[in-house]
Amino acid sequence: MIGRIFEIREFTLHDGPGVRTTVFFKGCPLRCAWCHNPEGQSAEIETMVRKGGEKVVCGRDISATELADELATNADIMNESGGGVTFSGGEPLAQAQFLLEVIPLLKARGIRLAIETSGYAPASEYRAVVSQLDFVYQDVKLLDAEAFKRWTGGDLSVVQENISWLRKSGVPYSFRVPLIPGVNDDATSRGAFAAFAAGSKIEYLPYNTAAGSKYPMLGRVYSLEGI
Amino acid sequence: MTNRIKSLLDRTFDKEQAKFRRDVDWKPLLERFVAEGIGDEARARIGLEEMLKSERPEFMDGERIAFLRTVKQIPDLHTDAEMDARRAAGTAFGEKGVVFNLTADFAPTIRDGLGARLAEIDARLAELKGRQDGGSPSQGCSNWESRRLAGDDAESIEFLENARLSVEAVLGLVERYRAEAEKRGLADIAATLAHVPLNGARTFREALQSLRILHYAMWCEGEYHCGLGRIDQYLFPYYDADIKAGRLTDETALEELEEFFIACNRDSDLYIGVQQGDNGQSVMLGGVTRDGKPAFNDLSRLCLKACGELKLVDPKINLRVDKSTPLEIYELGTELTAKGIGFPQYANDDVVIPALERWGYETEDARDYSVAACWEFIVPGCGMDINNIDAVSFVGSLDAALRNLTQRRRDAEVSFEDVKAEFKTEVQRRADALVEKYRHVEILPGPFVSVISTDCIKKARDISKGAKYNNFGIHGTGIAVAVDSLASVRELVFEKKLVTLPELVSLLDSDFAGRDDVRAAAKAAPKMGNADARADDLAKWLIDFWGHAFDGKRNDRGGIFRPGTGSAMYYIWHTRDVPASADGRLKGEPLSANYAPSLDVPVKGPVSVVRSFTEPDLGQVCNGGPLTIEIHDSAFAMPDGVEKVAHLVKFFIERGGHQMQINTINRDTLLDAQAHPERHRHLIVRVWGWSGYFIELDKPYQDQIIKRVEL
Repeated sequence: MIGRIFEIREFTLHDGPGVRTTVFFKGCPLRCAWCHNPEGQSAEIETMVRKGGEKVVCGRDISATELADELATNADIMNESGGGVTFSGGEPLAQAQFLLEVIPLLKARGIRLAIETSGYAPASEYRAVVSQLDFVYQDVKLLDAEAFKRWTGGDLSVVQENISWLRKSGVPYSFRVPLIPGVNDDATSRGAFAAFAAGSKIEYLPYNTAAGSKYPMLGRVYSLEGI
Repeated sequence: MTNRIKSLLDRTFDKEQAKFRRDVDWKPLLERFVAEGIGDEARARIGLEEMLKSERPEFMDGERIAFLRTVKQIPDLHTDAEMDARRAAGTAFGEKGVVFNLTADFAPTIRDGLGARLAEIDARLAELKGRQDGGSPSQGCSNWESRRLAGDDAESIEFLENARLSVEAVLGLVERYRAEAEKRGLADIAATLAHVPLNGARTFREALQSLRILHYAMWCEGEYHCGLGRIDQYLFPYYDADIKAGRLTDETALEELEEFFIACNRDSDLYIGVQQGDNGQSVMLGGVTRDGKPAFNDLSRLCLKACGELKLVDPKINLRVDKSTPLEIYELGTELTAKGIGFPQYANDDVVIPALERWGYETEDARDYSVAACWEFIVPGCGMDINNIDAVSFVGSLDAALRNLTQRRRDAEVSFEDVKAEFKTEVQRRADALVEKYRHVEILPGPFVSVISTDCIKKARDISKGAKYNNFGIHGTGIAVAVDSLASVRELVFEKKLVTLPELVSLLDSDFAGRDDVRAAAKAAPKMGNADARADDLAKWLIDFWGHAFDGKRNDRGGIFRPGTGSAMYYIWHTRDVPASADGRLKGEPLSANYAPSLDVPVKGPVSVVRSFTEPDLGQVCNGGPLTIEIHDSAFAMPDGVEKVAHLVKFFIERGGHQMQINTINRDTLLDAQAHPERHRHLIVRVWGWSGYFIELDKPYQDQIIKRVEL
């Protein structure tokens, strides 16, 4: 099976323990206003135009075997350092069937696997993938259904159902909250996040001030400019 | 850090000590040397005597380890005309001609005192003079032989007499320092100087003071790039005894060590190499002992701690590791890396020791290796190696090879194998030329450094006349650019047939004018650092023949030529000699320093860089020259950043890397420092084999660092 990715980044530091490689899947069902990887949103192959006019093709198709082989190049140092591969994006679960092909190929080489997900995926796919992983970074963006809809375009109940399952799944996880000024970084929201975590691990990610920088390269406008 | 150390640190950084300095005009002395036709050894001794006589004892408030420079200039011992005449007569010199890039054998003199060296000198003198006066040459000697022996003896006696006077000159300044300290009520210092360096050190403080004086005297004698060697080994007995006797705790030992480290920065702006900070005050920590046992000890740990607290560019910290080194030691090292001071530089015992053995170093000596100034592996005390005598430009060689090939074989079909063969021939031609150029090298003498080097008194010969090891090191610059260029030639000319070889050569002269497509294709061709076999195989091939380019060649001191992967400053200098290169680099764009990916090439990340750069067998090129990588400072914002980078270094070592240095930088900070140097006085960067203050570097060196690939 063929999947579509837009980057493989080595030695990522924010995506789990040890020496890791993160693969960014192209395409996401949500449209978070603050997204700092806008090239990961569309499932289509796009062309980014850098400041100097240099064109960069964003997105490539790759087979499960090829992807596994490429990621497994660094299996030696990953395994020695307690690292592994992290699936990110975009939304990796938007290509769940492809992931289900890649995962056993990597596991066969002893590589530990993590995912960074919005949790916005059909429950069956979420469970099928997550149950095979070693760690989950589960996004928690907003806890109010209306606000979630407004800022991400999605239906919060889909995420909530998956999180309920995750809590009982036995798969180690951490909640991750991207703090967005004026959206979810007030004291009330923070209190609500802590209550929601209910003792589970929760990390707050500071707002990425460079989040809007890639939008002009895609001919798009960053709606949160200047926050 | 104690308040006393903090205060000394701040005032030393602000160069308070400069207020004690004055200019001395040494021209009359030089004129006297010439007028009186004084010989090299006597000049060196008189220069040292005059220098030390001109020195005035001064002390910084609160210090306990004394000695600082008050005379800015060191006497010139030879006029340019004299040196030029010697060169014209066929003698080559390494750089300035004097002893440099050497680490003395400090341990025995710290242990026994200069008094013991004087006694040895006197004993040898008595023996030789006795032979001259009363003794007859042994039976069976021809007249010629006995004249030769007498001549040898005269030379020996001259050396020993100069050596004796040089020691007395040093002790003379020590006595003046002691008396002045006493006069000023600095009882601590006066008491220390009453004992060392005349006698053997009894405490850690005395050992540090003794080392400070011996090292200071070398600089005053005119030697430069004077390394400190394995301080965690030879100072350990004093540290250990003080700890065991309760005279020191880890806190007070740290304070003394920190004071010594600060002292290494006191005069260092007077010790200028090619750039400020390039002064060669290297120390080597860890590794194995001479009998092969693990050597990393509590003092090694303390040295890393002191360096991390002080964040100064001197001394330059090197750390020896091997495949059995636990991650914890790499993490200690990486904590320094995280502070952005470019330390430590790692060396791999598993690769370096066998390499030195293959090159003829005895096993015990090989296990005792350190680095000269930057990264050239040397054995302290018993080497008179000149480890950076010259360099071969791989980029220049490839350029010449492409031109030769297109000229000579204008009409014939040329294959990529022909290109490789021509390149190899050109590198060999240049290597051979260097062998010829440096077959006969003279080194100007240093009687004092000889006193504190192994066996010079016993042999009654100055170290400049030769030591146990007399090898010359040759750097190889622009490895990655040359490899990338070869990979590009293969792809563009022979696989894609985008251009012919003659077309490519003319494009190199015009900076790819009118052929952006060719330059883009060159930029997109395989690059070293991406774990791409299409480039890495060429690197392997290059290192395999470079590592043997000097096999069987000797200098007339009996030493060999050692190839390496270092660049020293040649990465800037060699850039001036070459046009654009086939990898898409334009004329004037700098080469990478040492053993590192070409500037600005897209690489997957540091793991791939390490993988690529450990594909070649680096045991063949152990003159030294580290893989140099730049890690973005945000790597250390995460709590486990240190552990991850430590794993990366360990991975490099386990894959057979020889040497590695890591810069922690942030391009934005560097650009800001260029614009607002006053805001970045403490910003330290790793330059080519040493750490210096960014704002003190010349712009081409600054710009080159800014263009390095951030990982």
